[in-house]
Amino acid sequence: MRILMIEDDAALARSIGALLRADGHAVDHCASGEEALTLVSSEPYALVILDVGLPDIDGFVVLERMRRTGERVPVLMLTARDGLDDRVRGLDLGADDYLRKPFEPEELEARVRALGRRRGGDPMPMVTIGALTLNRSTGHAEVAGRVLDLRRREWAVLDALATRAGQVVPRDLLLAEVFGFDEPVGPNAIEVNVTRLRSKLGDAGPQIRTIRGVGYLIDAG
Amino acid sequence: MRDSRGSPLRRAIALRTRLLLAMVGPLVAVAILLGLAGATLIADVVRRTNDRVLAGALGAIAETVQVERGDVTLDLPPAAFGMLENSERDNVYYRIAVGDTLLTGYADLPAPRPNDLTIDEPRFRFASYRGQRIRIAEVRRALPAIDRPVVVQVAETLDGRSALSRRLMIALLVGEILLVGIAVLLVRPALGWSLRPLSRLRGAVEARDGRAAPDLSPLETGPLPLELRPLATAFDRLLAQLDTATAATRRFTADASHQMRTPLAVLKVQVALARRGSSEALDEIADASARLERLLTQLLALARAEEAGASAPLERVDLREVAVRVISRHIGQAIDADVELQLEAEAGPVMVTGHRTLIVEIVGNLVDNGIRYNRRGGMVTVAIAPAGDVPGDQVTLSVRDDGPGIPRADRDRVFDRFIRLEAGDGAEGSGLGLAVVRSAATRIGATIALEDAAPGLIVRLRFPR
Repeated sequence: MRILMIEDDAALARSIGALLRADGHAVDHCASGEEALTLVSSEPYALVILDVGLPDIDGFVVLERMRRTGERVPVLMLTARDGLDDRVRGLDLGADDYLRKPFEPEELEARVRALGRRRGGDPMPMVTIGALTLNRSTGHAEVAGRVLDLRRREWAVLDALATRAGQVVPRDLLLAEVFGFDEPVGPNAIEVNVTRLRSKLGDAGPQIRTIRGVGYLIDAG
Repeated sequence: MRDSRGSPLRRAIALRTRLLLAMVGPLVAVAILLGLAGATLIADVVRRTNDRVLAGALGAIAETVQVERGDVTLDLPPAAFGMLENSERDNVYYRIAVGDTLLTGYADLPAPRPNDLTIDEPRFRFASYRGQRIRIAEVRRALPAIDRPVVVQVAETLDGRSALSRRLMIALLVGEILLVGIAVLLVRPALGWSLRPLSRLRGAVEARDGRAAPDLSPLETGPLPLELRPLATAFDRLLAQLDTATAATRRFTADASHQMRTPLAVLKVQVALARRGSSEALDEIADASARLERLLTQLLALARAEEAGASAPLERVDLREVAVRVISRHIGQAIDADVELQLEAEAGPVMVTGHRTLIVEIVGNLVDNGIRYNRRGGMVTVAIAPAGDVPGDQVTLSVRDDGPGIPRADRDRVFDRFIRLEAGDGAEGSGLGLAVVRSAATRIGATIALEDAAPGLIVRLRFPR
């Protein structure tokens, strides 16, 4: 899924970016609060990772302003501070989760996955569509007991579609959700991945339908 | 604590002993003086009182001495002797003589020489009679037509007087002993009562014991007696000083831990990535550990600079030697960053007063900043200007770089801890360097000024004369 990371420390930003990209997420990074506010309002992020200590405006203020404009994207706050007050304040301002530095990378990954699931309104890690079973915690997919070997983009597309199974997912939204800013995107990147997915799902799996001029839809077929 | 305050070798005298010595000693002395004075007074009073009775008896007898038909007669009144009766059964003697002729009474009662006596004026004296001390009252009368002196004497033994004196003395002694005894007995409770505010003070201090975070606010003792107020005030002042000191430490540790969290997070994530086979992770791990190490060094430097640097004596330091040393230490870093390092100073030492380690710390941090926040191919110049002949002229050391400089608005802020401006190029400082510089400079009385070098920054240090 597509994640916006707001972190002013370049080394930490590189590290978290590498970690989450390896998990198949598309990660955009910005180092200032103002830039973050602009990005959040223009891109369909599935998750925002927000550092409290930013050089220009406080992370809490960024969060408050985001929520005031009605932005509902899940927010995971990162902080180097120790105080309970900070955590309470962050959560009360509308943060969905809170991690204190230094965190365990596995915990960050798990929390990112958990928050990603909630975005679809379904916190269950297992999604079943017909013969397809997706484990959104492990990134594991199988069709009728056959494990699918998915590349990370393919997984991202499948996850985005499966989260809204039975609904049309507009192509632009899919593109925005799957690819970050920094990633090279060919003109038919989505089509290529959808085609590969169809062949991997095979006849037993659910069908990915193309709705011309609009987008894609997955259903049990 | 026991050794210095309560060791058996040099134990301070207990308060109770002090009070006892200070109060009961003089009290006993006063009692003795009072006893002596009392004894004299008692003797005097007893003598006067009994003498008056004796004089009464003497008068009563003397009155009856008359001349009847040329003879001296008398009629001894029994009441006169009754007057002298007492419980001690003192013997009463009398003698009335006309000239050497005994009229009546005890002939051998020591007789006065009549010429010693004034007429009608009773005289008292002690004498011995029949192996006993006696008091004699005697009077000489002049009777009409009798040319020889008529002497009337009444005497009594002294048992009654002694008994009375003894009783009064005993009463006096008992009173004194009671007084001293009560004083001694009262010392302990009086001390306890007097020291109760002190134990309240102790309680207030002890209540602070054993808390995880010591409470260093002023003691809550309630109203204290005048004598204890200076102690409580002094204690509160000490607490306040401690509070300031520990607040600095607390802030320091909070800052330090806060500052270590980010590089630690980087380390953890990169270690996880390395385990999964990332090839860049090792470089990132190396960077993060170098950053942690630098942070640690800076934190320690800051702690050193903020410590009571005043405890070490000021010394004469050669700035030129310090600059040369710092430059040679940073030459490797400068080469890596493609920055040139140079020294602008005339030959010969430039002496200033300060702490050498602090000055090395200051110059080192300035040079490090100059290299770190420079452009590639830039230059860092350390310049030393000795004081001129003009009075008030100071030795200055400046470090100039070709970096982006510091916006005027931020120039005060940069000296705060952990303030890092939005530096481009991902230069990763600890945000502590200038805090160290300021703290160390303050310690040796030097002033720092930031100036524009257009482009770049000049940090100018002025040393005290």
